[in-house]
Amino acid sequence: MSVFLQDLVMKRESKSYTDSVYAILTAANLFQGPKYLLSGLTGMAFKFSVHQQLLPMSVSAYGQWGNEHKPAIDNLGILTIFDAGRVRHHTFPYYQQEAVNAVKSSLDCGIGVVYWIPEFGVIHGYDDGDRVFYIQDGCSEESQIVLYDNFGLNFTTFWYYQVFGDKVDIARQDMILESLRLAILDWETPFRTLPNTDIASGKLAYVYLCQGLKQGSFNTHGAVYILDSYMTARTEIRDYLGDAQGIWTELDEAYQLYGLLAAMIPRMNDCIRAHRGERQVDLSRVDELIELLTQAELLEDQAISHFRHISARYPDLKRTTIPRWGSHTPR
Amino acid sequence: MGAKILDSLCLTDQADYIDVMHAILKHRGWMTCSRAMLSGMTVSSFRFTVHRRLTAESTTAYNWMAEHFLAADFVGITASQAAGFQFEPTFPLYQKQAISDIKRSIDRGIGAVIWKDQFVIVVGYDDERKLLYYADGTSPTNGTLPYIEWGRNRSPYWYYQVFEERLAMDELAIYRESLLQAIYKWETHDLMLPESDYACGRAGYDAMADAMHSSEYDGNGVCEIIRYYASAKKDIYEYTTVLQKIWPELKSAVEAYDELAQIFETMVEMTLSIDATQKFAAPQVRTMIHLLMNAKQKEETAIEQIKILVRETINNRFNDIGLR
Repeated sequence: MSVFLQDLVMKRESKSYTDSVYAILTAANLFQGPKYLLSGLTGMAFKFSVHQQLLPMSVSAYGQWGNEHKPAIDNLGILTIFDAGRVRHHTFPYYQQEAVNAVKSSLDCGIGVVYWIPEFGVIHGYDDGDRVFYIQDGCSEESQIVLYDNFGLNFTTFWYYQVFGDKVDIARQDMILESLRLAILDWETPFRTLPNTDIASGKLAYVYLCQGLKQGSFNTHGAVYILDSYMTARTEIRDYLGDAQGIWTELDEAYQLYGLLAAMIPRMNDCIRAHRGERQVDLSRVDELIELLTQAELLEDQAISHFRHISARYPDLKRTTIPRWGSHTPR
Repeated sequence: MGAKILDSLCLTDQADYIDVMHAILKHRGWMTCSRAMLSGMTVSSFRFTVHRRLTAESTTAYNWMAEHFLAADFVGITASQAAGFQFEPTFPLYQKQAISDIKRSIDRGIGAVIWKDQFVIVVGYDDERKLLYYADGTSPTNGTLPYIEWGRNRSPYWYYQVFEERLAMDELAIYRESLLQAIYKWETHDLMLPESDYACGRAGYDAMADAMHSSEYDGNGVCEIIRYYASAKKDIYEYTTVLQKIWPELKSAVEAYDELAQIFETMVEMTLSIDATQKFAAPQVRTMIHLLMNAKQKEETAIEQIKILVRETINNRFNDIGLR
């Protein structure tokens, strides 16, 4: 057997997870609309995490993936099943085999699969003859190949895949409200990968970013990647809130604030320059960049307090009921 | 359309998760050990969590998704599971998925764990009648649960777990890991639970004593908590007694666990002497607090001994002893 989903094309523009989900769900007709809408509704646009040394991994280190991605997909009303773990665990060979089967049956139904390459990408085909999966990372036009036997093996020691199922309709206003609550939670939670505290989330991520830039001994590629991802996300949020005007006055005001923030992005971009063919933070403009980021943090903080006012008006069972999952993954 | 009921899969008494897991694995022929051994190997007996007002919910207030995955993983059983709130819009999708996964497990001859305001075993299904058969230990005959009612509990949660395969495991590795995890359980607060409302491990004893002292506790809850953990401590004693044959250095830990189990037995007797809805009288409160502090000391001693035994692995795990 073999399957090759022609219509599934991933393009890196946003976070790799958002790009993957967008490619899969639009191809499967489970989502319609621009990418910023998906990024906003899932709360992915609001996720912002920074490692102390501004490592490139910061961008996808916004939490324990299962715990972050499940509520994201829940808010689209879509059933999702994921599995993940550490390759070194003794049960990995079994779960690897199960994963290979699950990925193939999803592709048989014509739906692509999210896969940690790293970073996140999509599996859009398989061939039993060669025992391979076809994978896109969103950067290269060419599909990569992963052998069934190598599924999940990569330098990060984590494996992860996620499949999607049926869908229920959720009222637009309910989805927007939930996305604001996901945003509030991300903004207010300083550490999403405890017990580690070297990666900060939300409001504290600004502090880590500015401190990292100030100290100077940061990862040059990581710094640019974090900033690019940050600027893209803020543009997404602005566009997302722009579409959601007229429901709550506080949200209209939050849109204005994100509009101001987005207007600062060209100046932030000016603080990055090409150096030997690679974009780098212009070290002579670090102070200016920090100043811009400090203003941006203030704007975002105000926007989030508008979100809080909206949220407070409606009961929030999801966050007032103690769950029996989440917060930490198995050890 | 089909129907199937697994023969001789049942529970004999009111059950917790480990009883349910034990019954299913034994029925499948994957496990011949005692409940106490399974409880130890899965680290379940080492969990000690209480709500600060000592409500009965304490005994199931833990991260099911994390702990039950691990329970199976520690003993080399692979499994699938899912959980959620029934008030979520996607619940009907997950209900359908759950029924399908559970039926497939029954077809493979393996019972399934579900949450039905307690953990119970699904032993069969009937597509014609659109219902599941389950055993909960309270009745010799199977209960019935219509598909459409699945997951609609008094508590807001739905949950299921199906076991898939058994992998060959090194017994010594299982035992060693359980001891490391026991230390983790003793020292670490469950991140899922707000620390203002819950206490875990070592801190659990102080929380119980505080509640006793301030008289702010649930009378029924405290009886249930003591009964439940008395059984857990007895399991630990039985489990470590077996491990002592392999590692004689555990001798003083086993002695401490023996005393710990006895202290809990005394506390169980004390709970029998009061009407469950009433509070303890002042002299009983003093005795209870004394027993709790004593129990904490015993368990601390036992953990110190275990730490000496596994010190090398502890060092290899740096600041996160639970992370395998």
